[in-house]
Amino acid sequence: MLAPYRSSLIAMVSGEDDDGQAQAALRALPEPIWVRLRPSVVAFLAKVRGIPADHLSQLMRAHGEVEEAHTMLTSRSAVRRAFAAYLLGLVRDPAAVTPLLPLLSDHDADVRREAAWALGAIGDPVAAGPVLDGLRRHHGQIGVPAWVVAEALLAMGVEIGPVLQLGLASEDAAVRNVCATVAGQGTYLSAAPQLRVLLATDGDGDVRASSAVTLGRVGGVGDTAILVRHTQACEPSALRRICATALGDLGQPESLGALAALLGDDDRRLAELAADSLVRLGPKGIAQLESPAAGPEGLSARAAVGALELAGLRGQLSVGADAA
Amino acid sequence: MTWSDLVARLASVVSAIMNVVAGPVLIYFLVINTSLLVLMCLAGWEFQRHHRRKSYAGTEQAVASQLGQGVTVVVPCYNEEVVIVTAVQALLALRFSCHEVVVVDDGSTDTTFEQLRGAFDLVPLSREVPPDLATRGALIDVHVPRDGRTRLVLVRKENSGRSDTINVGINAATESLVVFIDADSILEPDALISVTKPFADDPTRVVATGGVIRAVNGCKIVNGRMVEVRLAKPWLVRIQVVEYLRAFMLGRSGWSRFGALILISGAFGMFRRDVLVEVGGLDPDSIGEDFELVMRIHRYMIDNGRDYRVKFVAEPVSWTEVPVTVKVLRSQRRRWHRGLWETLWKYRGMLLNPRYGRVGLVAIPYYWTFELIAPFLELAGFVLVALGFVLGVVNTPYALMFLAVAYGYATLVTLVAMAIEELSFHRYSRWRDLGAILMASVLENLGYRQATAWWRLEGWWASLRGKKPVWGTMTRQGFDDSPALAEPDPVTR
Repeated sequence: MLAPYRSSLIAMVSGEDDDGQAQAALRALPEPIWVRLRPSVVAFLAKVRGIPADHLSQLMRAHGEVEEAHTMLTSRSAVRRAFAAYLLGLVRDPAAVTPLLPLLSDHDADVRREAAWALGAIGDPVAAGPVLDGLRRHHGQIGVPAWVVAEALLAMGVEIGPVLQLGLASEDAAVRNVCATVAGQGTYLSAAPQLRVLLATDGDGDVRASSAVTLGRVGGVGDTAILVRHTQACEPSALRRICATALGDLGQPESLGALAALLGDDDRRLAELAADSLVRLGPKGIAQLESPAAGPEGLSARAAVGALELAGLRGQLSVGADAA
Repeated sequence: MTWSDLVARLASVVSAIMNVVAGPVLIYFLVINTSLLVLMCLAGWEFQRHHRRKSYAGTEQAVASQLGQGVTVVVPCYNEEVVIVTAVQALLALRFSCHEVVVVDDGSTDTTFEQLRGAFDLVPLSREVPPDLATRGALIDVHVPRDGRTRLVLVRKENSGRSDTINVGINAATESLVVFIDADSILEPDALISVTKPFADDPTRVVATGGVIRAVNGCKIVNGRMVEVRLAKPWLVRIQVVEYLRAFMLGRSGWSRFGALILISGAFGMFRRDVLVEVGGLDPDSIGEDFELVMRIHRYMIDNGRDYRVKFVAEPVSWTEVPVTVKVLRSQRRRWHRGLWETLWKYRGMLLNPRYGRVGLVAIPYYWTFELIAPFLELAGFVLVALGFVLGVVNTPYALMFLAVAYGYATLVTLVAMAIEELSFHRYSRWRDLGAILMASVLENLGYRQATAWWRLEGWWASLRGKKPVWGTMTRQGFDDSPALAEPDPVTR
């Protein structure tokens, strides 16, 4: 039944419907045939971007699907509410932001997740605060999956900065963790002061770890000393290791000495990560490895030799030499 | 004493026992089968939710998300020369954004290492394996592919057993999540995506996830990938397929839904590496090391006041060979039940302890009552009723009621489980396979249950007598046209 219309749909999806004939043909489809074609349109809508996505959205609107989805947001069926939210996110309907917000506290987990996803897809930063609140526990279960919240916030752009700052001060460790991660992925430099505090004082190990990772990405010269401080033996092993890696991400030459000192640490994974960070710091870092590697057998030598061998296999040593 | 006197005395003894236990035995079977039915319903609810959201759940987006964590696949191996290259190729090709494969060779005496070195162009690397977990087998060396980029690490060590080998793999792991996989297991291409999703959903709380293990016997495998799901011909295997579906998939899904999953199969379990290190890794001295590990994690997390979750993923993820001979099956069941007993005994302090919430108040008592003691009560009930019936002590209505409650109800529960599984996943596409599964659900009650109950008691008894635990030999049939592989039996495996 759908065979005659398949080529029109493919033309729209592939962006080859320049004259709009394919869309016109699909707009004119009678209801029974459209109902059968609709799942394919929805599936394609989730996969395409740009003009083809806009054209598919227009097609959905022409068939009244967007209006229908708005109505379904208050359906008694959780399946319908979730699907309606999903559809409104797919068509990126800005008018859906307000009606989607209450669904973030829906009793059904699927509805909450789809509402958060849709708000992220629409990308209106007005929804950032409510989406972040959705992360809080809901009757003992996670409100909205952390990854959905993180992706939604990232999709909302730079205007979520104030919300992130509020989130970093949240009492809920899951909220702080997501905000710390988003701050790193979205390069929110304004979050750095709070991240430094969280790294130093937070009671949750995951939050401290996320803060360290993010400082490695968005921090500056001044953060070298902070990260170095958290590689000291009094800190938890996991945090020391993450900070050693973050120093490599930060890429500041001020960390060379501290990383070189870690090569002889009793925590051998920490030594290995410090050596890897030195490799990533380029020729100066590699030079820090060469002297212990050439020296007498010992902990530092072992870490340095291992990192240099691996760097050699990866061709990083010649690159370093060329750069030097 | 004449024969008739002996029979009369025996009849009076059986009658006296039956007067006491007749009612409780029926109630026991009624409760155990009803509890299984409840677990099936919970699992069915979970599956229904799972399928409802399949069209928009965004599983792959979850893994590609900023919160997606990397995975280290630890493959302990001992004399796996026939399958190891295919297995590692399949693992490296798994669909996942960030994973490494760490093969730990437990002192193989065949060409396992040479096979790997040739296939992946391995070169030695002066890389240390940090001793985060204490291990027994001395490390020999570390190899990586010559390109330095393929995420494969081979660690060679002296033979020290599977658990210790996995602990070495945990030490060598560099990603934050660790999964243990046997070299002869077949993974679904999306296995890591499915099993890591709970970690992406709730990264600060989820500490472990388990995946569904299914029987691979009879299936068509090409290059380490499942091509066609089929049922093996031996009824011994078919009955185990039913068992796996009922107990491993539906049972554990139900416990996960209830929030008290205490057993993740050692054939496919994913854990946070830092949690594994905190709790001390696998216990090399435990014969039920997978169960023992999850119990230890529960105790550790609760004792330390940590908010945590252990989840089960209903998606089929791993396929493994089940025993095809009675001898191997007997050995396996003895080992499982011994492991169950020793672990439950080790953690007896958690039993009915309110401090441990649902785990202590529901899951552990359930395992004591309906997993540990079940084979004893089942065999005792069966023998008593049969003997009483022969001696005329037990009347026909009671015998029929016993059969109905103990076996008829159990068959019904199994059929419900198979229906839920088929409606949810529909992995067996051939009608004859479905027919055979239904037939196996019935045949299971005719000898198989009684035999496995006996073997489980043997395992329990061996532990009580302090006999040295033996892993036994798992004879592998191999996949497809690969030659049959018989795994030698090192002392510690």
